[in-house]
Amino acid sequence: MSLLDPAEHDNRAVNGLAVLVLAGLVVLLVGLWWIQVASRHTYQGQLEIQAVRTVRVPAARGRILDRTGVVLADTQPSFNLGLYLEELSREFRQEYGRIRPVEVVHRASLWTFGRGSAQVVTQAVRLSRSQLEELQWTARLRVVSNAVRQLSEVLGNPIAFDAERFRRHYLSQLALPYPVLVNLKVEQAARVAEAPALPQGADIDVLPLRVYPFQATAGHLLGYLIRDDRSAEGEEADYSYRLPDYRGVVGIEAAYDSFLRGRAGVKSVWVNHLGYKQAEQIWSPAEPGLDVVLTLDWRIQLAAEQALLRVGANVRGAVVALDVNTGDVLALVSVPGLNPNHFVTGFPAGEYDRLRDPLLRAQVNRATQEQYVPGSILKPLVALAALDRGLNPSAPYMVQSDPARPDRGCIYVGRRKIRDTAPPGEYNLRRALLRSSNSYFVHHGLQPGVVERLAELGVRLGLGQKIGLPTRQEAAGVFPSPAQVRSASWRDGDTANLCMGQGPVAVTPLQMALVYAALANGGRLLQPRLVDRLEAPFPRTSSSVQQFPAGLVRRTVALPMNHLRILHEAMLADTEDPEGTGREAALPGFRVCGKTGTAQVMDAQGRLRGYTTWFVGFAPYESPSFVVAVMVEDGGSGGATCAPVAREVFRALQEYGQRNATGWAKRG
Amino acid sequence: MGSGTRLDGLSAVEVMMSATVETRLHQRLDWLIWVPVLALSTLGLAFVASSTLATEELNRVPFWDRSWVRQGLWYFLGGMMAIGVCSVDYRVLARWSPVIYWGTVLVLGLVLIPGIGAVRFGARRWIDLGPVQIQPSEFAKLALVLMLAHFLSRPREELRQPRIFWSALGLLAVPWVLILKEPDLGTALLLCPATLAMLWTAGVPHVYLRRLVVGSLVGGVLLVANLLYAPPRWQVPLEEYQRQRLLVYFGRDFAAPGASPEEKARARALQEARSYQVRQALIAVGSGGVWGKGWGQGTQIALGFLPRAAAHNDFIFSVIAEEKGFVGSVMVLTLYGVILLRGLQIARQARDRLGRLIMVGLVTLLFSQVFINIGMNIRLMPVTGVPLPLLSYGGSSVVASLIAAGLMQNIHMHARGNRP
Repeated sequence: MSLLDPAEHDNRAVNGLAVLVLAGLVVLLVGLWWIQVASRHTYQGQLEIQAVRTVRVPAARGRILDRTGVVLADTQPSFNLGLYLEELSREFRQEYGRIRPVEVVHRASLWTFGRGSAQVVTQAVRLSRSQLEELQWTARLRVVSNAVRQLSEVLGNPIAFDAERFRRHYLSQLALPYPVLVNLKVEQAARVAEAPALPQGADIDVLPLRVYPFQATAGHLLGYLIRDDRSAEGEEADYSYRLPDYRGVVGIEAAYDSFLRGRAGVKSVWVNHLGYKQAEQIWSPAEPGLDVVLTLDWRIQLAAEQALLRVGANVRGAVVALDVNTGDVLALVSVPGLNPNHFVTGFPAGEYDRLRDPLLRAQVNRATQEQYVPGSILKPLVALAALDRGLNPSAPYMVQSDPARPDRGCIYVGRRKIRDTAPPGEYNLRRALLRSSNSYFVHHGLQPGVVERLAELGVRLGLGQKIGLPTRQEAAGVFPSPAQVRSASWRDGDTANLCMGQGPVAVTPLQMALVYAALANGGRLLQPRLVDRLEAPFPRTSSSVQQFPAGLVRRTVALPMNHLRILHEAMLADTEDPEGTGREAALPGFRVCGKTGTAQVMDAQGRLRGYTTWFVGFAPYESPSFVVAVMVEDGGSGGATCAPVAREVFRALQEYGQRNATGWAKRG
Repeated sequence: MGSGTRLDGLSAVEVMMSATVETRLHQRLDWLIWVPVLALSTLGLAFVASSTLATEELNRVPFWDRSWVRQGLWYFLGGMMAIGVCSVDYRVLARWSPVIYWGTVLVLGLVLIPGIGAVRFGARRWIDLGPVQIQPSEFAKLALVLMLAHFLSRPREELRQPRIFWSALGLLAVPWVLILKEPDLGTALLLCPATLAMLWTAGVPHVYLRRLVVGSLVGGVLLVANLLYAPPRWQVPLEEYQRQRLLVYFGRDFAAPGASPEEKARARALQEARSYQVRQALIAVGSGGVWGKGWGQGTQIALGFLPRAAAHNDFIFSVIAEEKGFVGSVMVLTLYGVILLRGLQIARQARDRLGRLIMVGLVTLLFSQVFINIGMNIRLMPVTGVPLPLLSYGGSSVVASLIAAGLMQNIHMHARGNRP
């Protein structure tokens, strides 16, 4: 042993080394402990974050039904043909390998050197990073466009492939399938399902799609949607991807959007480091939205629409039909219509231009959103005001003849001559109303206190005020206030104009329908009711979720019954008397009380531009149930243009009443 | 113990040994070396399989071409080589060490010649032998240890001469430069601590060693400072990827200080990409937690966050750490620790300085590799292509590691008191 003593030094070094080795191992151990034990939650969190993409899955939108259960807006599965890119990643690589340029080189390795032969091999050409990237894109585009072409063959018609759209999808939504063709027709979906061989990664997936089965019918009331994938209020907002979702912009779709929309679900997609999907898990399923049941009656709506469309080409007008007692809106028509389907699936050629046409203004809901000069349909209010101020309805008033046109009457207000369409002669209230005599109403309107009472009545009956519709399609209209008519700037000429429904006054068809409903029901100004109830989507499990009360009265206007009776009688005569302007509205077996209107529309320079024609009435005379307001822009006259439309609507209402009566009888 | 007598006495010993090698292997098998080696090899097989399973299943790689099968074959081959190494006395091997050393240097030189050396991952480190490719630098490490041990096991007086000291450094420098040239900075750097430890053990005066250590430390600090703070024109020319790895390690921006916003954005993207491996390895290790996710359950692998080309290779440890957790990591460290400490014990008991020096060289090599590789997985060290001995996939590394184990066994067999 002593022989080896010089190695004593060596052993010291070895011992030192052992200390170093131990120290090193301890350092590693502490490091590992720190990462794997002390901060494991941090890293586990990072693991989750980097591998999981949350996807917002929109709920199926609730349906919109009419009062009889006809579906006006439906949510149907739409079949989309998509390419799952994660399944294509291998083909991307293969294609990339194919198009990667190579060069032939002679290589002598030790293995072959010994045998005296050089190996001829190919070797990838050295390329810059951007060139490689370009090559990868080329490979992907080739693979995908090939797949799209194959799919075109399967479908039997060409599918456009937009390389830029694909590039955007690839960069931003890699974990979602690339939509090749959305909203397949049933036949196309069947072709895909039965195709013997689909390209790799192609499959059909199903997304909810809004469908309006009756196209433009009631389109304004239903409203339309726009694409909006944002999170609703109170919903989680941190999504990596969002599947297409929609939000109502106007109409019922907008008003009840929060109910219709339901609650979006969340699913997680596990992705790999390249962003391709590996697996998915649904955290919370989407809860479908509630169904909205309208007060609208499908048949009345359709009858009104068709009657209005029969007026002529490019007719612009509106129809409102209400239940006089409940305020239920039974029909709300505006033409030209708009087709809400187009807002979801895209506009056909020319359709978008038509929507933006400045004259047709198809986007506007003329029944509630646009205000018009009422003309003679305001005369029943003038009559009521005059009666309140002591007018004797049977007292005769002599209308003088117009010197310029001896067969027509006229009246002078100061030095201004107001022409009349009615002939000269003797008028009482009944005849004045049914012939729509301007002179009679101007004369009585100028009596003391009448115009103040008229202003008061108009305001009490809601003219010049918004109703508070939830549809975001409302105009307030214009009506002079009592203070205004009492002011010094108010002249007799203004009173004369107001009594003819001209001058500083504008109304919406819905407002007029509500005014006439108040005249029919004894002075109750109703809150129009558009929605009857909200329903759970599966009626078997639960029925009505929320019922909206019928017959809400905004305010009651004191209208003496005897005055109303006089007025009803005169308005009935308007449709039944051979002289009446509204004869065309008469309907056998369903006595209609109404009033026509033909209002002059002036342009900015005070020139006559055309006429807004009206018919507003209620029926039946014996116990008024329904009110109908018809308005046509640039019509001929209220009697000729609007009264026939009103008749058709009343006919539908009559049938509706009979249906209900038998229904009640059956149920009773 | 002069060198002359040592060489003379050998042939007789050799004859005697070859007759009794069977029984001796049985009696003198060092279980403290071979049990951990066997355990690490088994772990290596299991986790190479785990980390390549998904990809190879997907690509329908035939059974005999699977990574873990190939790895198994390398273990077998390495085991054979280890037995071969055991059957020849290490002093005979040391006598041949100049031949081995210069032969290896020659091969290292050949690697650099295009057409002979094969390029993979941007480095020319391999020699293509048809079905297999070998990485000579793995064997160069052993050759250097053997050569240095042979060179330094001379009388202590001679070691005091500067000539000897510089010659020893020269022996290091030749393979060092060649390996650096490939480029393979990691392997090249591994040679330094081994050389240093051997010089120290051999008894080279401390003055030299101190100068060497201080010199290289100052050089290293200067290099890093130059990299981090010098304007581009004054920087030491490094390979771009090496520069980036170091920048990632020191958490520095790639962009030059006066760069335009676009350049900065590009640099940041590049930085993201470059620090990607490190970050993913760290997430893999950290998310393993205490108990791990279970064999084959590592999501970092399954989802491909750990690069598939590196997972079973340089980053095998992060796979083990993810799937077996802290417990697995400690187990791996313990196995290496047992080999290392047992190796030092063998060094202490070695019959002569030659054996002691070889042992010290081997232990330091092994330790450096373990430390650098695991350190890189937990961001203690910058990323370098240093495989984890016995665990990482790769034939040359496995065979070289097993040969090293064989050498340890060889020295153990001939230790003091072990001679029959």
